[in-house]
Amino acid sequence: MQPFAYAAPATLAEAWALLNEQGPEACLLAGGTDVVVGLRNRTLRPKVVIDLKRVSELRPQISEAGPWVTITATTVLADILDDQRIRARFPALLEAAATVGSAQIRNRATLTGNICHASPAADTAPPLLAYGARVGVASARGTRRVNLDEFFLGPGKTVLQRGEVVTSIDLPIASGRRGATFARITRRRGVDLATISLCCIVESSGRTLFAYGAVGPRPFMVTDESGVLADPAAGDGRKDEVLRRLLTQASPISDVRGSREYREAMLLVMSRRALRSSIERLAAA
Amino acid sequence: MSKNANDEIGTSQPRRGGLPRVTGRQQFVADISLEHMLHVKLVHVDCGHARIVSIDTTRAATMCGVTCVLTAADLPQPVPRFGPAHDDRPILAIGETKYHGQAVAAVAAESKEAAEAAAELVRVEYEELPGVFTVASALDPASPLVQEPELRPGDPLKHTNVLREMKFGWGDVDEAKADLVVENVYSFPMVTHFAIEPHAFIAAPEDGGVAVWTATQNPFQMQRIIARVLGLPLAKVRVRAPDPGGAFGGKQHPKYEPLVAFLALRTGRPVRLLLTLEETFQEVRRTSCEIRARTGFLADGTISFQDIQSDFLMGAYADIAERVIAKSNYLACGPYRVPNARIAVRALFSHTTPSTAFRGFGTPQVSWAHESQIDDAARRLGIDRVEIRLRNLARKGEAFVPGDTPADGDWAESVRKAALAIGWGKPLAAGRGRGLAVAIKASATTGASYSIVRLHWDGSATVLAGTSDMGQGARTVLAQVAAQELGIPFDWISVVMGDTATVPFDLQTSASRSTVFMGQAVARACHEINAQLEQMAAELGLDATVSVAELLHARFSEVRGEVIGVGSYRSEQQADHPLGGSPSFYEFSCTASEVEADEGTGEVLLVRHVTVADVGKALNPQHVEMQDEGAAVMGLGHTLMEHILLDDSGRIRNLGALDYRIPTTKDLPLEMHSIVVENADGPGPYGSKGAGEGGLMATAPAVASAVTEATGVVIRDLPLTPERVWRAIQESVK
Amino acid sequence: MPSSKVLITVNGAERELEVAPNLTLLDFLRDDLRLTGTKECCDLGECGACTVLVDGRSVNSCLMLAVEASASEVITIEGLADDGRPTALQDAFVAKGAVQCGFCIPGQVMAAQYLLQRNPHPTPAEIREGLSGNLCRCGGYVQICEAVLAASETGP
Repeated sequence: MQPFAYAAPATLAEAWALLNEQGPEACLLAGGTDVVVGLRNRTLRPKVVIDLKRVSELRPQISEAGPWVTITATTVLADILDDQRIRARFPALLEAAATVGSAQIRNRATLTGNICHASPAADTAPPLLAYGARVGVASARGTRRVNLDEFFLGPGKTVLQRGEVVTSIDLPIASGRRGATFARITRRRGVDLATISLCCIVESSGRTLFAYGAVGPRPFMVTDESGVLADPAAGDGRKDEVLRRLLTQASPISDVRGSREYREAMLLVMSRRALRSSIERLAAA
Repeated sequence: MSKNANDEIGTSQPRRGGLPRVTGRQQFVADISLEHMLHVKLVHVDCGHARIVSIDTTRAATMCGVTCVLTAADLPQPVPRFGPAHDDRPILAIGETKYHGQAVAAVAAESKEAAEAAAELVRVEYEELPGVFTVASALDPASPLVQEPELRPGDPLKHTNVLREMKFGWGDVDEAKADLVVENVYSFPMVTHFAIEPHAFIAAPEDGGVAVWTATQNPFQMQRIIARVLGLPLAKVRVRAPDPGGAFGGKQHPKYEPLVAFLALRTGRPVRLLLTLEETFQEVRRTSCEIRARTGFLADGTISFQDIQSDFLMGAYADIAERVIAKSNYLACGPYRVPNARIAVRALFSHTTPSTAFRGFGTPQVSWAHESQIDDAARRLGIDRVEIRLRNLARKGEAFVPGDTPADGDWAESVRKAALAIGWGKPLAAGRGRGLAVAIKASATTGASYSIVRLHWDGSATVLAGTSDMGQGARTVLAQVAAQELGIPFDWISVVMGDTATVPFDLQTSASRSTVFMGQAVARACHEINAQLEQMAAELGLDATVSVAELLHARFSEVRGEVIGVGSYRSEQQADHPLGGSPSFYEFSCTASEVEADEGTGEVLLVRHVTVADVGKALNPQHVEMQDEGAAVMGLGHTLMEHILLDDSGRIRNLGALDYRIPTTKDLPLEMHSIVVENADGPGPYGSKGAGEGGLMATAPAVASAVTEATGVVIRDLPLTPERVWRAIQESVK
Repeated sequence: MPSSKVLITVNGAERELEVAPNLTLLDFLRDDLRLTGTKECCDLGECGACTVLVDGRSVNSCLMLAVEASASEVITIEGLADDGRPTALQDAFVAKGAVQCGFCIPGQVMAAQYLLQRNPHPTPAEIREGLSGNLCRCGGYVQICEAVLAASETGP
């Protein structure tokens, strides 16, 4: 790794001051499971690494306030997996988080970090999108909330401006019943990055949402308002028609993990399966 | 005198060296730090084949903390070349890089950070050149030559990328009658060893010569090569070989040891080079190939002829690949009775990582072809796939390669046991299939192992053996042999390995040879001791039933001493044999697998996986099981998920642990069984043979056959990734 | 480049040292403290050979900067046994034939230690899941999982 300075600010204000001072020469550090790899590979060459883990306002916490469950920026995936509220309300997020790396990775990796790294294949992105997550952002200029589906701009790019720090990811508690499933395809059963990943939510209202990862420059979401997908009585042919239309928004590429053709085919196969699963889970809810 | 009543042989003594490993005290090469040690970092270019236009080392050389920067120009001219079989590999790239990752310069500095930073400052100007990365381009006369013709004087093929054409065979293939001819082309990918310990090398000036620490399976060859390259006598080169953290053949032959030895002598200081995992991947791999097999069968499934043409893609340097190709293709027909055979194989150069020895030594590749062929015939003739094999398997004592070592095991027994264990013939659930395959490997054909055993005056003993304990538990097994032969407790025996200055010559640890070769050497050394003890008893007028302890006390109570025995086991060259000698034994293995295939995604789940190893005698049953199952898991790697992917410039695209995937705990079959056949019919002590490679030799054809039964599709390329299986299914429904 | 002063407790002993920020916890343990039991392999958090416990959690030490571990408690393979004698878990690894070349073993033992701390009686599936971040090329997974199961049955 090339040399850099290290700072561990104790407050957000200190963090902002450092960020504004250093500009693009600074790199934020939470869990480090992506950042340290970048430092080692020299794809990241900051002058300063700003560790957010000691910022008092960002201490790890999962809390419920009104219609929102808030996960602070330094909350690690392992703690999310242990949380009963997340398990009860956002089971597909748990399913996805459990696939991120290994126990060792999940003990350090943060949900926020997974999102800010903005890999198109980030496993937690599809369920977060489908659950309607929003991102809390703060800077010296003030705070704002960004819906996750507007947060990603492209591979490795988010809407974050210089001087901004993500403070939390908030998940809206659903008013109605729903069935949710996370699914993905990998090259081996062991720890792996996704060839494709997706989350399917079927709501009692008849609306179906799909969010996809690793099949485009950003994770994205599509919605079926027709009710066809959610209808257990609707035929496979009709459902496939709707799915194919929704899937035109996907733009998978060929890379070392899989070819475009395979990804396209798996989108349909896995969407069908996740849909069936979500319909069952809705019925059981 | 009375021997120990304990029966050491067949006891699962705990692994010697187990405790230091679980407590973190075991010293691997990278754990060794010498005083005033310099840290070395290599400089590479990111290209498969390139002409080096210039190397500017001035910024690096003048950086604080940097002691020296070495390029080919700084080495003795002509730059020394080395290799286990051909002296073709230069210490550093000369004017051209011939594979992605070949070092063009080396930096030695006071710290790791300084070495890393300085390596970045070395400016290499290079020009990408067209390269040879596939079999087709190696054979294309318009392709560039990988190896300079000057390196192959007198070789009629020196203006081609063919190192050698080998032909084996017997009978008359063209006259042979057949009711069915099966003709297919198979491929086996490039895969890499991925030992968890990346390569590491240390060298230091010592006693007017040089000392080298390297996790080599072959310290004596290393010593010989370093001595030659540096112009030193053998006695002035000391190779210490700490137990490797996994080797599998990748640590058998020299890589950067000559370079660090040079650096040590140049700087006058100890130097240490630790390769990253990525650099390690770039240095070692298995020989990949394309095999065209034409097999003739009679209507009852009997093999009438085998006509096999294969092309094996070595890398930029020959390393030991020619031997891999020769040995495995010699047995390309498999363990069967084949009346007519014609095997033609070409060993090809390419601008890729030099392929080297890798567990199985070519056998996984050839068995992929011969087993897939026999399955194809079975399906077409309507014969059960186990039955067809039983019909053709060579019987014990049969010379299945005419004029050579006959079949030395009851191979049908292994097949029957595997079939029983997998539930062959029982009803299958939907989406499932079973497969069974066999493989045969010729063990060491020549070689020599020496052992010295020292019986100390207190009745304990030290065994000196040059075998490398790279996980197979050689230390444990050799101690067991000595304990049994000397009749002293297992815990009173120490085993010293891995030091050319203190242990006698051993050819190498490979080919599952050590139980036989070194085991016999140790046993014979013990017999020599026992003979001396008998003599001693007679001279002292003691009864023959006196215990060893009493005898030693009687002899050595006044003036101390010890009883030393030397044993050896040699197998000499046979000039007229295509392999230089007959195999001392065969390693025969049988694998059976049951899979469940998801036709929608192409994912394959291994429901049950059985391996049967014919070992003669399991000296340490637990060690045999862990080796056999370990090999099975490794075999699942090249079967289901491992392949090195190259881009058009010969760069490895999936370099590193992120994108080169090997099996994890979650990739295990739901059930695994390892069965051992012990008929005491091997040449090693107590009728043992070698073990440890079998479990991965027939994995691919067994699993592929199961996938075929489950899905109806036949796949002839590896690995069987979900995408490949899915594609095959899509093609079949068109 | 400015270095930072860190106060880390390693295997029960408090150490105060100046470390460069660009030093990983792995390199700090191996090179600065000469605790070479923790191994370096992939250096990107994929193989688990560098697993240690930090504040009771298993982590890949190659993915942590040493400075991040300031004020934390780190336990390495060398510090597992309280009184220098191997734990039941370590004994089980040897007894069950889980140790082949041994290079992955410190990481496996640390990962298993964490697993058993959280889940003293894991099922075989939970063991496989818990150790899925630790690669073994010798392929000793079956024996490694058996060792963890055996240790869970006998207790600490």
